[in-house]
Amino acid sequence: MNYWKEFRKGIWERNPQLVVGLAFCPTLAVSTSVSNALWMTLAASFVLIWSNILISSVRKVVAKHLRIPIFITIIATFVTVVDLLLNAYRPDVYKSLGIFIPLIVVNCIILGRAEEFASKNGVLVSILDGLGMGIGFGLTLVVLAVAREILGANKLFGYTLIPGMKPAAAMIMAPGAFFALALMLWGMNAINARKKRK
Amino acid sequence: MIVKDIIKPTVVCTAVALACVYALSHVQKITGPEIIKRIKEKQDTALNLVLPGFTIGEKRETTIDGKEFIYWEAEKKEGIAATRAYAFLAKSPGYAGDVDSMVGVDEKGTILGISIISQTETPGLGARCVEVAGQETLWDILKGRTPHTGTGEQVPFFQEQFKGLTLNSKINILKLGDWTSDKRESLLEKNGISALTGATITTTAVVRGVESGMMRLNRALEESAKEQPGGAR
Repeated sequence: MNYWKEFRKGIWERNPQLVVGLAFCPTLAVSTSVSNALWMTLAASFVLIWSNILISSVRKVVAKHLRIPIFITIIATFVTVVDLLLNAYRPDVYKSLGIFIPLIVVNCIILGRAEEFASKNGVLVSILDGLGMGIGFGLTLVVLAVAREILGANKLFGYTLIPGMKPAAAMIMAPGAFFALALMLWGMNAINARKKRK
Repeated sequence: MIVKDIIKPTVVCTAVALACVYALSHVQKITGPEIIKRIKEKQDTALNLVLPGFTIGEKRETTIDGKEFIYWEAEKKEGIAATRAYAFLAKSPGYAGDVDSMVGVDEKGTILGISIISQTETPGLGARCVEVAGQETLWDILKGRTPHTGTGEQVPFFQEQFKGLTLNSKINILKLGDWTSDKRESLLEKNGISALTGATITTTAVVRGVESGMMRLNRALEESAKEQPGGAR
């Protein structure tokens, strides 16, 4: 087992959003500001890594036809932990992420990694897989959020960039998110296609 | 066969569910009090913000039109005379969920202040209802220039414009761009507020929530006056 390869694949070759095409919903929804994107990355990665650990350690006792309910129970538990912790200690983050914290349960990256990887591999390599996928998910999210926050709100990390300038509000709204994500997908595909040709 | 097909999966499912519930109950035990404390703190700050200088009485809960209504009575002593005021919680559906606000009014129905307690509106548009007009830019922060903060706590500009409006007549929603203090006079004359740009739904939600909250407050006060005819009122 090549540990480094399993870690690295989530960041570029199998980037959850840009290559595999998963988790567009949270990507579009919470990329309105960079701090939202960072907290979403932390929350989702926490759930992803811990559910990978638990699922890979129980994989041998779980009957095949029962795996999905058990995986979902484990994932939902960690999501609830994140939900409670954020509500108690970071109410500002809890407020701005809102419904998208409980929705991590149905984040397809997490169930996808559970099904595709953690249920078939050991604990250590599953941690690395979760870590890599979390970083890949976060990178896409943060790049998108930086672009949207600068263009759509004239801000970065919540601070105004150019005083007095009217931002392009469309970038904050759904259409802007789709355009920006489409550009990123195009860029990713163009780079990968060029690589393949060589 | 029975062991493999029925008993083992049942045991595994039960064990996983039990472990999850056990873990969650512990997390809940740690975070629960903290969450309750936060909610109370937020309510208290909001109360002090909308009724500055008042001594706030007990929280009252009643049901009006089948909906829960929460309000507070408050008093301020100026010499011998005491002024009365009320605070209530207003709730109305915004663009992406309920917008909850705390509203302070005096006996004549003039708004003393409002504070939006929770909202889930679009960042950059509706969520600007809680935005504090910042003077500092990112460059100031990076250069270490200290931002000139105003006196004490700053009230978000959208909420600031409600101060002084009367709830005895309808609040007009005008489209004059972001509120600045020089617009105060002309807006007060029209009993209006300037809507948030690109967030008419949020603006309307807050205004209508405040208005219907006032109606409920009047009914709640009537009812409590009926209940205790010999009361102070």
